[in-house]
Amino acid sequence: MGPLSRYARTDWFGPLLVTVLAIVIVGAFNPSFLSPLNIQVLLLAISVNALIAFSQMIIIAVGQMNLSVGAIGGLAAISFAGMMQVWGLPAPVAAVLALLIGLGAGMVNGAFIAWTGISAFVITLASLSMFKGINLGITQAQPFYGIPDAVKAFGNTTFIDPLPWLVLPTALVAAGLWFLLNRQALGRFILAVGGNQHAAELSGISVGFTVVAAHAISGLLAALAGIMLVARLQIGQPTIGDDWLILSFAAPVIGGAVLSGGHVSVSATLLGVVIVAIITQALVLFNIDPFLVQVVLGVLILWAVGINRLRELRLRKAATAGA
Amino acid sequence: MHAEDSAAPPSHAGSPQATPRGASGRPRFWLTNEFGLIVLIAVFVTAFGLLTPGFLSPFNLFALGRTAAINVMIGLSMMVVIVTGGLNLAVGAIGVCAAMACGWLIQDAGLPWPLAILGGLAMGAALGFVNGWTVVRSGLHSFIITLASMSIFFGVMIFLSRGESYRELPSVFSSFGRLRFLDGTLSPLVLVAVAVAVLLVVLYRFTVAGREMLAAGAKPEAAALSGIRVDRVFIYCHMLSGLLAGSAALMLVARNGAALPSMAGQLGQDWLLPAFLGPVLGGTLLSGGRVSVVGTVLGALLVTLLTSGLLLLQVGEFWVQAFLGLLLLLAVLMDMARRSFLARRRMV
Repeated sequence: MGPLSRYARTDWFGPLLVTVLAIVIVGAFNPSFLSPLNIQVLLLAISVNALIAFSQMIIIAVGQMNLSVGAIGGLAAISFAGMMQVWGLPAPVAAVLALLIGLGAGMVNGAFIAWTGISAFVITLASLSMFKGINLGITQAQPFYGIPDAVKAFGNTTFIDPLPWLVLPTALVAAGLWFLLNRQALGRFILAVGGNQHAAELSGISVGFTVVAAHAISGLLAALAGIMLVARLQIGQPTIGDDWLILSFAAPVIGGAVLSGGHVSVSATLLGVVIVAIITQALVLFNIDPFLVQVVLGVLILWAVGINRLRELRLRKAATAGA
Repeated sequence: MHAEDSAAPPSHAGSPQATPRGASGRPRFWLTNEFGLIVLIAVFVTAFGLLTPGFLSPFNLFALGRTAAINVMIGLSMMVVIVTGGLNLAVGAIGVCAAMACGWLIQDAGLPWPLAILGGLAMGAALGFVNGWTVVRSGLHSFIITLASMSIFFGVMIFLSRGESYRELPSVFSSFGRLRFLDGTLSPLVLVAVAVAVLLVVLYRFTVAGREMLAAGAKPEAAALSGIRVDRVFIYCHMLSGLLAGSAALMLVARNGAALPSMAGQLGQDWLLPAFLGPVLGGTLLSGGRVSVVGTVLGALLVTLLTSGLLLLQVGEFWVQAFLGLLLLLAVLMDMARRSFLARRRMV
């Protein structure tokens, strides 16, 4: 087996090829795409969207789905902004408390799913509406404007020229998740439960604990995404998180995640986010109707699940032919 | 244990615990989900009637009926896909597309309104067909397919309509929505919803197509072996779902007097909660193969009742949403408790 075909089998190879091609094509047609300012804008979008995607990815890994990613992110975002404006808390304290809210919300999801055995879809649909309702009940659909300047600066300035500060938390999270899923027992447990829950249980893994842990991580990441979005938008919008659902599934699926669980890739998901960001940006640069972004996202999901399905079928055929 | 399972699967002639209340496992009426819902509806009607003076006024009953009729249709449009063991996240998006198609046919294409309504319904069924065909052909779960298609349908609709609404509809729409029977308490929309529910009961009880849908949903492999064309049946289920979503949206147009692109929220997501609340409260199995049309109707009625009552109690519309989420959670928990109670009763 040559090195090329070995790479072609990995999750990240296809998305990487598409990313490079997209950069070259868009850059060739419109040189301003590669300007430092544009790269900065692109990186800002990627930093937040990657966290949203990771938040869903960890749940896909455990073989479930989390419809409430956006609702948790929105709740954490308005809590963060509200605690700074109304209670006058310093930003780091407010951020930690908002992260804890996200963690708690995720644990509630996980605990209900593990305890009742009811499908994650129904539980997170119910909690989506509860978290969103609490969000709107607190804010009365009015944004919080009192964001400290330090937070605004964190969301909109760079530390080395095209690299914004917001890239740092995302990079740390990506590295941490890679380490978790590849080197830590908990990460392997999550993938094992996602791959075959029954087998995982028989080999002594506590399925309940693993599910709660995965949802807790998901809630934490969604909250972090919400907080970073407040910093970037400079305003605590109650609508934060409303449009995360499609996005959160698109990137992991483009990155080859198997929706029935047990197989995800951090690097490929990150590339999925990059692809989505480049295409969205290209639509803007070429003056194509922004409404079409939704259509493009939907088509990307279909295309990616189609490719994944083909790959799966080919692997199965190769396995049966070999045996 | 293992020996018993494999040795004699169907012959339970001698065992007493296998026979009570028929092989279908249909429990006594007072233990059914439907009975529980009727009790809850009666309790809440009494409570709201006593607590809020306006709750039983003709106007409120009329408004309640109109909203309930639309919620029932949304619930049914999800239910007919849950039968297959799948789901349809795109109900809201399909509904809005159907309503906007109807508006376009009247306002821009100049068609008479009966043809435009047919056109809108056909649009709903056609989008349902796209969903069903894609699900069946790809072999993927309907969750991811309809997640993608909801984004595509809604995006194309917004692109084509430029986000504008159709407000100059013929007066039949709004006058149908405002029409009142029985001392001003009953909306004709309720009659439409009841008629559709009756048709669905007939479909699932008495027609071959309906029985095939249930069989294919319960166990696709077994259904295929007994000669049912499972793929085709699943596509029919999705088309029916699109048709019902389209009807729900047209009823909403009659109530609002206009076709608005925003009437189901961003991507039609606002319909998701009512769409699942009805069937889940009504005891439809999410794994497929079992439906309760009456339960779905009662579930949607209960949800509408609670929403209206809480709003009259001045709870605030935002908290009502949180409450509905809690209700969904309580409903599935209660259903679980009921099932385990029934299972235990049968064991003893």
